[in-house]
Amino acid sequence: MIPEELLYTREHEWIRIKDEDAVVGITDHAQKMLGSITFVELGAVGEEVKRQGVVASIESSKAASDVYSPLDGEIVEVNSALEDEPGLVNDDCYGKGWVCKLRLSEPDDIEGLMGAKAYGEYVAKLEEE
Amino acid sequence: MSEVKKTVLYDRHLRLTDKSRMAEFAGYEMPLWYSSIAEEHAAVREAAGLFDCTHMGVIEVAGAGAEAFLNYATTNDVKALKVGQAQYSYALDGDGGVLDDLIVYLRGADKFMVVANASNEAKVRGHLAGLAEGECAGMDVTLRDLRDERFGAECLVDLALQGPSSMEILAGLMNAEEAERLGQLGSFCFMEGRVGDIAVLVSRTGYTGAKVGYELFVAPGDAGRLWDMLLERGGAMGLRPCGLGARDSLRIEAGLPLYGHELAGEFDISPFEAGYGWAVKLDKGEFLGREAMVERCDSYDMQVVRLAAAGRAGVRPVRGGDGVLSAEGVCVGQVLSGAKAGERQILLAYVQCGTVKKGDEVGLYYLARNAKHVQQGRLEKVTLGDELSSDLAGEVLRRFGGESH
Repeated sequence: MIPEELLYTREHEWIRIKDEDAVVGITDHAQKMLGSITFVELGAVGEEVKRQGVVASIESSKAASDVYSPLDGEIVEVNSALEDEPGLVNDDCYGKGWVCKLRLSEPDDIEGLMGAKAYGEYVAKLEEE
Repeated sequence: MSEVKKTVLYDRHLRLTDKSRMAEFAGYEMPLWYSSIAEEHAAVREAAGLFDCTHMGVIEVAGAGAEAFLNYATTNDVKALKVGQAQYSYALDGDGGVLDDLIVYLRGADKFMVVANASNEAKVRGHLAGLAEGECAGMDVTLRDLRDERFGAECLVDLALQGPSSMEILAGLMNAEEAERLGQLGSFCFMEGRVGDIAVLVSRTGYTGAKVGYELFVAPGDAGRLWDMLLERGGAMGLRPCGLGARDSLRIEAGLPLYGHELAGEFDISPFEAGYGWAVKLDKGEFLGREAMVERCDSYDMQVVRLAAAGRAGVRPVRGGDGVLSAEGVCVGQVLSGAKAGERQILLAYVQCGTVKKGDEVGLYYLARNAKHVQQGRLEKVTLGDELSSDLAGEVLRRFGGESH
């Protein structure tokens, strides 16, 4: 499941950009690899994050994984529902399981992000290995 | 690293779960889970679970000298075994280092079967072969790797059927006489019979803490059919295929050690520290590593304990390396393994003897999980005696749990 309208990172984050605002989450592939998610540590609203800076940490009973910011910006909102219901990331990773909203410093600088097709090929290759 | 191997049940796993849920373990591509770890864990506690253990080592030790050989090569008293009985034991090196924990089965006069962990199988086999040709040369003992195709119909691989419904599932596939024998089979006893039309060595052993549970040793060529037959028969009784995730969470809940974690490993944990001193028979006569065991049997100051902490959604999972704190906030040890069991986390930890006892409250300290935590001042490693503030309350449980004991 890879929605057409989103952009993706090699670390399996997705980003939905609208003007200078963006929503960030983890992909279906990422949530599947983690298994049942039991804990999400969210970043702080107001925090400045660089591309590849940690915006959240997600843990299942088997693994812990950081969520990296796909672009530079400031965290303007976090999905605090995940604190009590981390399983939303498993159930609806592109919807109710979103992680944070960013105000992007350079919304046009999307170099290095993948479109749905490229990401799909990237994941298919990983699964082959 | 050599190529990742596939077990004889590999194609079946791919039909039951997504390829992304397969992972390399001990050189084999194994299923982590099929539905979810929690569901599979619950199935074993409430009904039954079926595990692919065909990666486990199965070694035959036969010959007139087999008993004397194994009594020297392992720590438990092999002479105490009667045909049809099995025992938990250890293979040590000359310095008392644990090479593996094992189950030793007596199948007939001068015919033993030794089951070793998948990750240690080659090491154990090499060790036994070295002894047979070296120190124990002339003992009249023949070692055979029963997973080597060369031994044809005598080959055996392990499936595990564990949980309260497992007896009923299995008995339903046996003739009346054998089903009755199954019902009378005690813990650590085994029988050789038929499940459907398949020859199976049925052993009442396991690694889940289930009161009723079996390991089924079967010819590799029959393993797939046995797997299918059990799932078909047991499906209506709640039987589920279970992956490595539930295998780990069940053994942790039961307090059973995993080699490299609660046994040997970073802390060189001895059987005494792990709570299995009874499987090291110091008075049975000479055995390899005995001298070191005599020294270590009463001189250890750390031990494995079992703890519980909250495990509901939203609680950060406790992981290996996290600190265990006394009520006063002093670090008395660290976590070795942790798993979710229902709404709790069950932890196995390595703590200083005498610092905590059953029923005590302890604190748990999360190590830094990422660079940001380090910047915030979280430790990357705890040291005994550190004064730390507790992140999560824990409680000391009795050493063993699960369904049995």
